[in-house]
Amino acid sequence: MGVTERIQAVFTPRRIRHLREYFTGYLYIAPAVILIFIFGIFPVGFALYVSLHRWRIKRSDFIALENYTRAIGGLTYVLMFFIALLALVGAYLIVRKVLRMAEEHGDRPLLLLLPGLLHASVIGALLRYLWFQLPEFLAIGDKLVGREKTRELFNQLLGESFRAVRPEFNLFFYLLIASAIVGSGFFLYRRSPRNSTYQNQFMMFWLALAAGIGLAYFTYSEVLTAYAVAVETGEDPGIWPQLISITGGLFLFGVAWKLWGGAANEASNRRFWLRILAALGLLVGGWLLMGEIPQIVASGDQDLWKGLKVTVFFSLGTVPFQLAISMFLAILLYEKLKGSEFFRMAYFLPYVTPFIASAAVFKQMFSNREAAPINSLLKGLGMLPQDWLFEPRGIFEIIARSLEIDWPDWAAGPSLALVVIIIHSVWTYVGYNTVIYLAGLVNISKELNEAAEIDGANQWDIFRNITFPLLSPTTYFLSLIGIIGTFKAFATIWVFRESLALGTVDTFSVAIFTEFYEKLRYGYASAMAFVLFAIILSLTYINNRVQGSKVFYG
Amino acid sequence: MDKKSVFQQRRKPLPSAGSLKWVLTVRKAVVYIFLSIGAFVSLVPFVWMIATSLKSLGEALTSRFFPTELHFENYVIAWERALFSRYFTNSVVITLITLAGSLLFSIFAAYAFARIEFPGRDAIFALLLSTMMIPAMVTIIPNFLTVTWLGRIGPIPWINNWPALTIPFMGSVFNVFMLRQFFAQVPDELYDATRIDGGGHLRFLLQIVLPLSKAPIMVITVLSFIGSWNALAWPILVTSTPEWRPISVGLMNFVSEAGQEFHLTMAGAFITIIPIVLIYFFTQKQFTESIARSGLKG
Repeated sequence: MGVTERIQAVFTPRRIRHLREYFTGYLYIAPAVILIFIFGIFPVGFALYVSLHRWRIKRSDFIALENYTRAIGGLTYVLMFFIALLALVGAYLIVRKVLRMAEEHGDRPLLLLLPGLLHASVIGALLRYLWFQLPEFLAIGDKLVGREKTRELFNQLLGESFRAVRPEFNLFFYLLIASAIVGSGFFLYRRSPRNSTYQNQFMMFWLALAAGIGLAYFTYSEVLTAYAVAVETGEDPGIWPQLISITGGLFLFGVAWKLWGGAANEASNRRFWLRILAALGLLVGGWLLMGEIPQIVASGDQDLWKGLKVTVFFSLGTVPFQLAISMFLAILLYEKLKGSEFFRMAYFLPYVTPFIASAAVFKQMFSNREAAPINSLLKGLGMLPQDWLFEPRGIFEIIARSLEIDWPDWAAGPSLALVVIIIHSVWTYVGYNTVIYLAGLVNISKELNEAAEIDGANQWDIFRNITFPLLSPTTYFLSLIGIIGTFKAFATIWVFRESLALGTVDTFSVAIFTEFYEKLRYGYASAMAFVLFAIILSLTYINNRVQGSKVFYG
Repeated sequence: MDKKSVFQQRRKPLPSAGSLKWVLTVRKAVVYIFLSIGAFVSLVPFVWMIATSLKSLGEALTSRFFPTELHFENYVIAWERALFSRYFTNSVVITLITLAGSLLFSIFAAYAFARIEFPGRDAIFALLLSTMMIPAMVTIIPNFLTVTWLGRIGPIPWINNWPALTIPFMGSVFNVFMLRQFFAQVPDELYDATRIDGGGHLRFLLQIVLPLSKAPIMVITVLSFIGSWNALAWPILVTSTPEWRPISVGLMNFVSEAGQEFHLTMAGAFITIIPIVLIYFFTQKQFTESIARSGLKG
């Protein structure tokens, strides 16, 4: 066979068509994907890099976890150990999956662990290379300040930055070649259709394993350093006891959850109650062990915990009210009376209005002047005017004071300033939620309601037994969006913020932004942002587990 | 259970025609009352804003709701004092540049994700979708550093200039997602017909798919305008001079500067709202429908 024939044998017209199709696909997605990568995916890694440094406008020393320990104290180490554990569990699950698949097909994939290891080390080497290359790239910008920007100068600086980390790049490059050769060698040697799947899975396994072990070792050495520092200052950081008691507490919670969930399936009454009792006991035990957490909170950043508290108040004050009001309005609108178009538009208008403009209006309506609309309304009702956005005291405290009841500090509730923001937020989002609920209601068949009415059910029965359960997917979706939205909320609060409210309206996002924009502590702000990210992720997870199981997709 | 037994089980006797009508009227009235309370609460802030914006300063400080005489000159004063003409143009230009880039890129990407098969397509799409989970506060700091850096090495500065306000938003996962959902519904037969005519993906996209996609493109346009009128954190960071400052930051600064002269701040707020509300009224039907259908907020 000549060369041309060989080429023709490999590139059949069909293959060429396929390759062209692939090429078109990649070409079409390239611009969007590159932009999303630069401004959406890469920043996560970059933020992690920033958060591990002392960084005020400019990068300074590498300080490992110090930003995190300053934010959340000893909890950092606990969380790091948990993440390491999760990675190890992930590695185990991958191996189990691969072995099962191999058993099913009668393959023997274990030899492919070797190319998997090579692929994984390529990714490791690439990350290592990027870790060293990133600061060199960043430095180009600083070197260009105050000099005339020419192409030659830029090329020269770029070349310098590449040369500075050449050994790291070479390591990556040689590993890449080795893994390509070994990988395709195995591919040709054992022509199994599942070959590349196994290689990829094993690569993931090695990565997870390395991440788990590496993180655990890193955290362990960090804890030892913390103890060594503590010996000098004479304080006991108490990280090990914290780790043990929090892990124990979480474990007990998990077991209690299992017992509770399984209790409903128990046939005999006695065993049911035994299970419930055991679950309750474990919960109490877990709660006692969790008693370490307040101590950790005390050692962390007070602003951050305050921000978290404000955010929780904001969430709890906003989401239930807006869901209840909008469900009610949606059910009324669904009656399809004359003019419902107008009402729907009226409810939706606040959502469309730019937040900053509506916040400016609310700011004046809830002004602390006596002649402002809300205060004159209160006056008309015979009540005292309030300071609203300038009021740092809690709402329950104010109500109790006006009724002359002694009220404990811890139960003061959200500050009156935050209440105004909650009202604004409910006012804004009710329309949006109503529209989504209306869409959910349309999917409920009218026949169900009619059948129930014929059976003599009243409106409340119909709502409780038909409408509410059938709307549960919508409620679930809206509550998830609402909770995450309140944790991300920034713009309105930034406009509403008054210094006299003494930071009682500064939610987590606002705290991060002030740390970054006003105090210029980039590294610390990034660490806080990751704490927020972790909270949002775990809220989503918990919401999925708790509510997802009760949602009725009927 | 057949129909007859259901009727036998009925607990209440059917009301007579006359009383049924009465019950229905009362019920209708109750529904209207609740709906009107809702509409009242929704609309009162707007009415108060417009009423206050037409008062004189002295009258704005009293507790009167409606003005005794109308001071339309407040709008002129606010417009000039707050540099609104500049902020307005800025916001519109920023939105249009972002929209043009974002539509161009998302249409091609969405088409490829919906209709072209290539290795790794679903994995890449899942990766893109997962970025929607990331809170803006995580990415805002590194993006600020990136944008500063790009301005230093590139031919034009990015901070206090249009690139920082537009280019980072041209790659929009939301837009890609929304268009992909729509493109996937275009029937395959249409593509086969194009193929028989000798056309490829590009021709199919431009001549068949795009003309069908006016509705989602309009929704993206409206959402982009609303989004840019709402953006605050990023514009605060990257605009320290009025030259490219968008209207959101402009209004916020005006509110804190004009402080107690709130007949003027209300006029400013109204000026800010007008374009968005107009756009909403014109596209109202498609807009609410697609919000309800996509179930995602802008």
